[in-house]
Amino acid sequence: MKILIVDDEPPARERLKRLVEEIDSCEVAGEAANGTDAIALAGRVAPDVVLMDIRMPGMDGVEAARHLGQLEEPPAIIFITAYDEYALRAFDTHAVGYLLKPVRREKLADTLARASRLTKPQLAAIARAAAPKQRRTHLSVRARGELRLIPIEEVLFFVADQKYITVRHARGEDLIEESLKTLEEEFEPGFLRIHRNTLVAVRHIASIERSGEGQYSVRMRGLDVELPVSRRLATEVLRRFRG
Amino acid sequence: MNRSVSDSPSAPAPSFYLPDFCATPTVLAVVLISELVAIVLTLAREELHHGFWIDLARTSLFLLWIGLSSAAALCYSRPALARMSVQRASAVSLGLLIAVTLVISEVTFWLGQFWFGDLQSLVGSLFPTGHVNFLLRNLCISFIVSALALRYFYIAHEWRHTVESRARLRIDALQARIRPHFLFNSMNTIASLTRSNPARAEEAVEDLADLFRANLRETRTQIPLKEELEVARLYQRIEELRLGPRLKVKWNVQELPMDTLVPSLLVQPLLENAIYHGIEPLPDGGTVIISGARNGDSLELSISNPVHDAPGASPRSGNRIALDNVRERLELAYPGRARLDVENRGAEFVVKLTFPLVKSVATA
Repeated sequence: MKILIVDDEPPARERLKRLVEEIDSCEVAGEAANGTDAIALAGRVAPDVVLMDIRMPGMDGVEAARHLGQLEEPPAIIFITAYDEYALRAFDTHAVGYLLKPVRREKLADTLARASRLTKPQLAAIARAAAPKQRRTHLSVRARGELRLIPIEEVLFFVADQKYITVRHARGEDLIEESLKTLEEEFEPGFLRIHRNTLVAVRHIASIERSGEGQYSVRMRGLDVELPVSRRLATEVLRRFRG
Repeated sequence: MNRSVSDSPSAPAPSFYLPDFCATPTVLAVVLISELVAIVLTLAREELHHGFWIDLARTSLFLLWIGLSSAAALCYSRPALARMSVQRASAVSLGLLIAVTLVISEVTFWLGQFWFGDLQSLVGSLFPTGHVNFLLRNLCISFIVSALALRYFYIAHEWRHTVESRARLRIDALQARIRPHFLFNSMNTIASLTRSNPARAEEAVEDLADLFRANLRETRTQIPLKEELEVARLYQRIEELRLGPRLKVKWNVQELPMDTLVPSLLVQPLLENAIYHGIEPLPDGGTVIISGARNGDSLELSISNPVHDAPGASPRSGNRIALDNVRERLELAYPGRARLDVENRGAEFVVKLTFPLVKSVATA
C-alpha cells in the first residue's frame, strides 16, 4: 500500500513515517507539508491512502481531501488531528476514518487496513461540519489524471452553462461541475451574482457601464468582455459596487 | 474555599456564616434590627400607654439592651461557634440569644419591682407587672426574631460566597486554558523525538512540565518579570520543535527592569496567541516581536505578529479568550491603572500592555 503523509509539522511527519514503515505491506510514497503540495504529489505518486493532518497553513486537510475526491481514482483518506471537536463530530457522523495525535501504532495499522475511499457527498458534508464558515482557497480541475488548482483570488467570474460552469481565471478558462448557487453561497461577499448565470469576483470588477435603457454591463480588469447585468439584479449590483 | 487563600490565619475559619459581632457594621446592623423590632412592637400595640414616642423609646431601650448584649455574647463565643457544624452553631447561637433575652427580661422585671414596687400606680406600666406573662412573651419574640436574623446572616453569607466562588471559577477557567491543541501537538512532537533525539525529547518534557506548573499558579501570583519572560521562552522552545524554522521570535526586552513584579501569565498567553493566530496559518511562517520599554513609572510590553490574509481563510476563533484573560489579570493586579490595547495594523497585529512599575520587595 502506497501511503502519502501530509502534515505541516516535521516531527509529526517523521513519526508517522516511522510508524508506517514498521507496518508490513505499507510504504511511504511521499510527504507533503500542506494541502497544495499534497495534491501536486498525489498526482505524481498516486497513493492508495493519504494520512491527512487537518490543520495546516495554506490549504487545510479537509479542503485538500475534497480536491483529492475529484480524482478519477481518489485515494482513501485518513484524517489526523490533535484536537478538533467539530471535525471529530463530523467524522463520527459520517463514519470516516481518523486518528488522534499522538497516533498509536495499533490504531494506525487497524485504520489503514480498513481505509476506504470517501464519496464526494461525504467529503462535502465533512467540510461543512468541520469548518462551518470556511471557504475553499482553491478550486480544482481534473486534467489528464491530475488535479490542477485554481486559487480563488485568481478567479474573475463563473458563467453557468446547461451542465457545467465555466471558470474564467487569470490563466485561462476551465470547466467545473458545481452549481452556481453553492458557489455563490460559499464565496459571498467576495463574489456577486450579476445575472441568473453569472457570478463575478468583486475585486476584479473594472467598471459597470450603462449599455442601454436600464441596461448595465460589467467589465472585468484585464479582460475584454462585457458581462450583462440582469434587470432584476441591477439595483443590487450598483449598490454593492458603489458602496 | 481554598485555605491557602485566606490571609489571616488568626481569624476563624472563613466559611463561618455569622459575621464578626464586634465589628462596627455588624453592631450597626444589630442596632437597626433592634429598632425595627421596637417599631413593629410599638405599632402593633393596640392601646398605647404613653403615646407612640414614649412607648417606642421605652421598647427601644429594652430591645437595645438585649440586642447589644446578644452581639457581645456572639462576639465572644464566635471562635468557639466557628469550630462547630452549621446546624450546631445555629442551635447554640439561638440558645445564647434566648438566654440573653431571659436574663435581661428578668433584670428589667426585678428592677421595676425593686425601685418602683411601691409607686406602681404612679409609674403605670413603665415596667412590666405580670412576671411569667412578660417572660414568656419576650422569649417567644426573641426566638422568632433571632431565628430570622440568623437565617438572614446565613443566606447573606451563602450569597456572598456564591458570588465570590463564581468569580474565582471564571478566572480559574480562563487560566486552565492551555489550548488542548497545543497539549496534544506537543505530546506528538515528544513522541516523535523520543527515538530520533531522546535528549531533546527529555528537554521538551521538562519544558512542558515547567510551563504547566506556571499555568497552575494562583491567579493573583506576582512574579519577577524575568521569570515571566522565562515561561514565555519555555513555550517558545516547545513551539520551535514543532514549527521548525517557520517560527522566529525576536526579543527586544533588554531595557526592562527584570526584577519588577508582574502578574504571572501575562506574556506567555499573548505569545501563544501570536503563534496560533499569526504564525501557524502562514505556510512560510513569520516573526513574532516581543518588545518592552520603560516609560517613567510604567512598563510597556508589546507583542506583534504578522497577519495572514488568505481570501478563503476565516480567522481562527478563540482570540478573545486569551486577551480577556490577560486583561482580567492586569485589572486584578492594578485596578484601573493598567491597559491592554489591540492594534490591527493591516499586515500586523499588535497587543500592547501598559502597567505600573512595581519593584520587587528584595530591591525596594
